[in-house]
Amino acid sequence: MTDVRPAKTLLAKSCCDEHTGTVDERAPRVALAGNPNVGKSTLFNTLTGARQSVGNWPGKTVSVARGTWRASGGDVTLIDLPGTYSLLPGSPDEALTRDVLVDHGMDGRPDAVVIAVDAANLARNLYLLAQVMETGVPLVVALTMVDVARARGVRVDADRLSALVGAPVVPMVPRRGEGLDALDRAVAEALANPRPPAVPPLGDHVEPALAALAAELPAASTARFPARWLSIALITGEPVPGVPDGTAALARDLGAALVDGDDLGDPEVLVAEQRYAWVHKVIADVVTRRGDTRTTWSDRVDRVLTSRWSGAPIFLAVMWGVFVLTTKAAAPLTAALQALIDGPVAGAAGGALTAIGAGAPVRGLVVDGIIAGVGQLLGFVPLMAIMFVLLAVLEDSGYLARAAFVVDRLMRLIGLPGRAFLPLIVGFGCNVPAVAGTRILADRRHRLLTGLLVPFVTCSARLTVYVLVASVFFGDAAGTVVFAMYVLSIALVIGIGLLLRRTLFRGMAGEPLVLDLPPYRLPTLRLIGTQTWVKLRAFLRTAGGVIVATVTLVWLLSSIPVGQGTFGDTPVEHSVYGVAARTAAPAFAPAGFGDWHNSAALLTGFVAKEAVVSTTAQTYSMSESAGDGELAPALRATFDRTSGGHPLPAVLAFLVFLLAYTPCMATVAAQWAEMGGRLTLFGIGMQLTVAWLLAVAVFQLGSLFW
Amino acid sequence: MTPREATTGAAMRLSRVTGDRRHRRRLVELGFVPGADVSVIARGVNGGLILALGDARVAVDAGTAATLLVEPSHD
Repeated sequence: MTDVRPAKTLLAKSCCDEHTGTVDERAPRVALAGNPNVGKSTLFNTLTGARQSVGNWPGKTVSVARGTWRASGGDVTLIDLPGTYSLLPGSPDEALTRDVLVDHGMDGRPDAVVIAVDAANLARNLYLLAQVMETGVPLVVALTMVDVARARGVRVDADRLSALVGAPVVPMVPRRGEGLDALDRAVAEALANPRPPAVPPLGDHVEPALAALAAELPAASTARFPARWLSIALITGEPVPGVPDGTAALARDLGAALVDGDDLGDPEVLVAEQRYAWVHKVIADVVTRRGDTRTTWSDRVDRVLTSRWSGAPIFLAVMWGVFVLTTKAAAPLTAALQALIDGPVAGAAGGALTAIGAGAPVRGLVVDGIIAGVGQLLGFVPLMAIMFVLLAVLEDSGYLARAAFVVDRLMRLIGLPGRAFLPLIVGFGCNVPAVAGTRILADRRHRLLTGLLVPFVTCSARLTVYVLVASVFFGDAAGTVVFAMYVLSIALVIGIGLLLRRTLFRGMAGEPLVLDLPPYRLPTLRLIGTQTWVKLRAFLRTAGGVIVATVTLVWLLSSIPVGQGTFGDTPVEHSVYGVAARTAAPAFAPAGFGDWHNSAALLTGFVAKEAVVSTTAQTYSMSESAGDGELAPALRATFDRTSGGHPLPAVLAFLVFLLAYTPCMATVAAQWAEMGGRLTLFGIGMQLTVAWLLAVAVFQLGSLFW
Repeated sequence: MTPREATTGAAMRLSRVTGDRRHRRRLVELGFVPGADVSVIARGVNGGLILALGDARVAVDAGTAATLLVEPSHD
């Protein structure tokens, strides 16, 4: 059930600590807590604007967004805690939220907590609020979605709620900026005069047990944890560090006595039910309903979007739309940006360098190395921007949660939740935004597994190579060969997915689907703009260096002569690059294409698959425009020679290798940003191994028949 | 009965959640507590259901739906 927490993860989960400059360590700290999908991140974005950074919590693997809120009483550091339904930790994200609220031994604890409570879905939100109240931390309740609630005929009496909670309650609509001033005043007051909220009673049955335990709690533990929270945690059997075994055992006995005689009895469930009893009492007291609030228009939309008849076709249509937008719509923008860099910018830089008397090597380095690298990087910007906008729209509108429900069963085959479908689909266009798209998955392990699978999804850049090579060798059957590559790609995703689940991701149980569906909403432009900008900035920061460095490195290697020629003016064959390709070639002999032309093309393919065709032409000393007329015979001759008379299996093996090995350095850079260096390197190793084994298998088996 | 046998749109009351401890804990935390108002909003493929749980909407798969015991509600 790890996918019960839908939204929130969009806001840039990066591996790296980026706490730079934006946060003042002396400002008072206020944590934002709340259920997922209650407008918490909207509130965070509205209050902090772009003054935010994402980084790991010190000593934890969970990343949180922090930002500066220019409040009227002075700057406040806002900490956007991961959205959670409960303080009973079921994931590292939830554990962090819990620890931040209860562990006084933790660095960077907040001075006050703003908890976002969804007025349109009070019960579940008040449940979390009840748990936060048990920690005794000074609170401000931001009552969000009051507009949605009002539209459904639900009115919440904020003053009465405030009296019951013992903390200020501020009705607001963060998306429209309503209620921000009142929140500002309430937070300033909570920081100036901190006082604990009320304590939700847990009923005649549980309270005596809590009282009995409270008397036995050691002082060292109550100094570190709030006493009320500690008693409840211990009675429900939760392990708490530093508590003597005797106290823990006593608590367990008290807990067991509470549920004596019930076969499904569990103190944890009992306490949760008691909290809900309080919640329902509060709701009866503060909520007034008008008219029939049972079936909303959102429900009627759901009947269509998720039905067993129309659900799948609509889902496929939406995914097709995402695919078309991330491929077709981005293409002209990408081309224009690259033309600008390659043409005017490179020309101007070259001219300027000549004017100041720079030699050919320096011009080459700057123009063909660094500027070309920046051009490659900028080429990805429209694509990534479109991807991030689409993610934000799908997520904010509420459709993504429905889509996840529709394909859940299918994705479960490889142990991933339904929403993992989106990054994989996007991968058919380009793997780079697909890797970034894994952020829609709330669970870190799901993100990592999906991120490792994305490179096996055959992207459109690989298609250009399939088409060229297949049309040279397979004539009329070229279409079938290309189609087979797509089938193989899907088979690889499923196969590798199953394999990884049984090995590296073994603990990841197939959790049943219990998915909270947010109401449908119109996404706001400002929100989408902020989210897209924050994520795009993070991409440029982390991936930028890798891409520019790789392109520059490849230029350098192909410019350094070995034996003959001069720097910057040497045929590829006699450059360091050519020599490296020659050295790598024998490794591909078992796959039937052990020739330096092929390995040079594959080396380039590591940088960008788009460049494979041009490199192939270059290695035969032809221009890219030479076309089939000259290139085809040369290619045929090479494969005839290397395959020992079985060119077709060798070509198939070459294509299979091309499909399965590392897509491009931009994907590597994106993976590095999303999942860190270790797993990225593991992924590259896995891709090369799979690609090589498959290629060898295809050639060895194929040459038996052809 | 479980929500799978219930009529779409009919008001029901949750009487019990079965299944292992972890599963029950998660469901209880989401508000699936005895006495909660439940109704089926929509039916998806493979027996999945979209349930109304008070004001909340929750999608569950067939397996999860089978762990919820409900009875008709008369108010």
